[in-house]
Amino acid sequence: MALVQLQGIKKSYQLGKTEVVALKGVDLTIEKGEFTVVMGPSGSGKTTLLNIIGCLDRASAGSYKLDGEEIGHRDFNDLAEVRNRKIGFIFQNFNLIPVLDVVENIEFPCVIRGEDRKVLRERTLKIAAEVGLMPYLKQKPDELSGGQRQRVAIARALVTEPQLVLADEPTANLDSTTADQIIDLMLKLNAEMGVTFLFSTHDPRVMEHARRVVRIHDGVMEDGTEAAAHEAGRMHASLGH
Amino acid sequence: MFSLLQIAIRNVMRNKRRTAITLAALLVGVSVMVSIRGALNGLQRSLVQNVVSGQTGAIQVHRAGFLKNVLSSPLSLDMPQDADFEKKLLSVPHVKAVSPRILFAGMINVADQTIFLGVQAIDPIREFQVVPLRQATMGDKGLMESGKVLDAMVVTEQLQGALQGSKVPKDAPAAILAPDKDGALSGENVTLTGVMKLNMPGEKKVGMVHIGVAQRLLKMEGRATEYIVAVDEIENIPQVAAELRKALGKEYEVSTWEDIATFVKQAMQRQSMILSLVAGVFMILMLLGVANTMLMSVLDRTREIGTMMAVGVRRSKILGLFLMEAATIGAMGGIVGGAVGSVIVLALNARGISVTFPGSNVPFTIHPYVSASYLISIVALAGMGALLFAIYPAWRASRLRPVEALAGG
Repeated sequence: MALVQLQGIKKSYQLGKTEVVALKGVDLTIEKGEFTVVMGPSGSGKTTLLNIIGCLDRASAGSYKLDGEEIGHRDFNDLAEVRNRKIGFIFQNFNLIPVLDVVENIEFPCVIRGEDRKVLRERTLKIAAEVGLMPYLKQKPDELSGGQRQRVAIARALVTEPQLVLADEPTANLDSTTADQIIDLMLKLNAEMGVTFLFSTHDPRVMEHARRVVRIHDGVMEDGTEAAAHEAGRMHASLGH
Repeated sequence: MFSLLQIAIRNVMRNKRRTAITLAALLVGVSVMVSIRGALNGLQRSLVQNVVSGQTGAIQVHRAGFLKNVLSSPLSLDMPQDADFEKKLLSVPHVKAVSPRILFAGMINVADQTIFLGVQAIDPIREFQVVPLRQATMGDKGLMESGKVLDAMVVTEQLQGALQGSKVPKDAPAAILAPDKDGALSGENVTLTGVMKLNMPGEKKVGMVHIGVAQRLLKMEGRATEYIVAVDEIENIPQVAAELRKALGKEYEVSTWEDIATFVKQAMQRQSMILSLVAGVFMILMLLGVANTMLMSVLDRTREIGTMMAVGVRRSKILGLFLMEAATIGAMGGIVGGAVGSVIVLALNARGISVTFPGSNVPFTIHPYVSASYLISIVALAGMGALLFAIYPAWRASRLRPVEALAGG
């Protein structure tokens, strides 16, 4: 069943006096359990697309159904609720809350929705173990390495048991070894937990593992599949990895 | 486990230098406000004591209508000066002592000079029981000697100055002239036995005689124009005044020091108003500091706000978070500032501050103090004010769009 259904999504915004059209009518369907990569050069509209899918921004026109429900026209608080319940975020800059320790950062999205603390703690520890954070539970973000921070972000994205995890260039700020570990971790979670992942990246290693690659160029979607992934793999290889 | 309040407190502790500077501003502001209020309280209490124990007494009793006509010193509005009347006054609880006076206007002649003056006729021994501070300004030897009433007058420095400068010798002979109770001009010979200082503003050319001398001069044997009343505590004055009114009936008017020394009351009100104004300006400056800190905090933490919004924190909670942070700073600054201010006030209270009023050369010591309710209100004001001044920064934080906030503003 389709988890994400975009039809004719357009997005434009004012930049000074000129109107910038970031998305010119995007159609995209993502099935449950997919591990999809969105790729495209800077300014191609991929971040805008992810923001709309992540309910951080609203499309200017078009229809967006998440899990069969039209959510394109919900108000801010409704969208906050949708993000909290259905979507997990992994950011390029990790974006942890500096005053919270590892456990608290992981639990934060669930605490704000008022979940039972005992049940939550059990689930948190399970996920923390899964992503390899057990030795660091009481540390603050600034005491962690980049890879460890991204593991916290992954755990935070998964603790709410979302239907969709969005990752905007999650390996861009990591060295290659760590990036590989993070990709492996996300692949494992995708396989084990069946969570749908949607990435944006330039990183050929991510594309190598993606079951599906969609390309966006100049606000328009070019949907490639196995072939594109394959191509990406070849490109990866030719780069000497 | 944690709550929004805990996050707020941790955020306040996070940028230690910025918080310290804001707290320092609040601390200095609040403690200065408390200290000034304390000093003013002490000053005003001394002022009241100075008036009550040095001039008017706590309460004065006159015949009805006397104060309205006080400038003409109406001798017809008089009252008995006897044991029966005094017993009536002394029977009211909290009344410590009473003393009769006659106030009249007249002329004094020394050598070839005659000038107008106001005369206060008193019973020195009893007068000093009601207004003990007077003794320091005039001494007790001028009007009586070894229990015997002297035909004597003590004059103010200003009156002495008007009488040919300070060339008037001690014990110079003089004559008082005044219309008596029936309007006939009457005179008495007196000796100028002393000079006194007046420690309050008001009429300066004043002489003082024993009430016995005035009664003879004015043909008012056994009569007085006012009684001054001492009350054990300043706080009891209104209650005593009310009971005296009840005891004496409509024929008499009972006035407190506030009714008589209206200029003192007005001066005190003006002082309090100026203090409130200064305090208000101080408070606003401090709170602008808080607002600035919060604005900087919002700018610094734009991405963090975006993250919170991304994981589903509602606008109202973002608003609440920043308001809590401001209130925490406000409350901390208020409490610590209030404590520091109290310590300063207590120290000054123990030590005392020596003050001399303008127009007077009698120094006295003031003991600053503040009430608990003032302290509580100033701490509450700091907290509430910080909250109020944080509304704009917090609102701005809550109105950020998640996408822009995540991009760092």
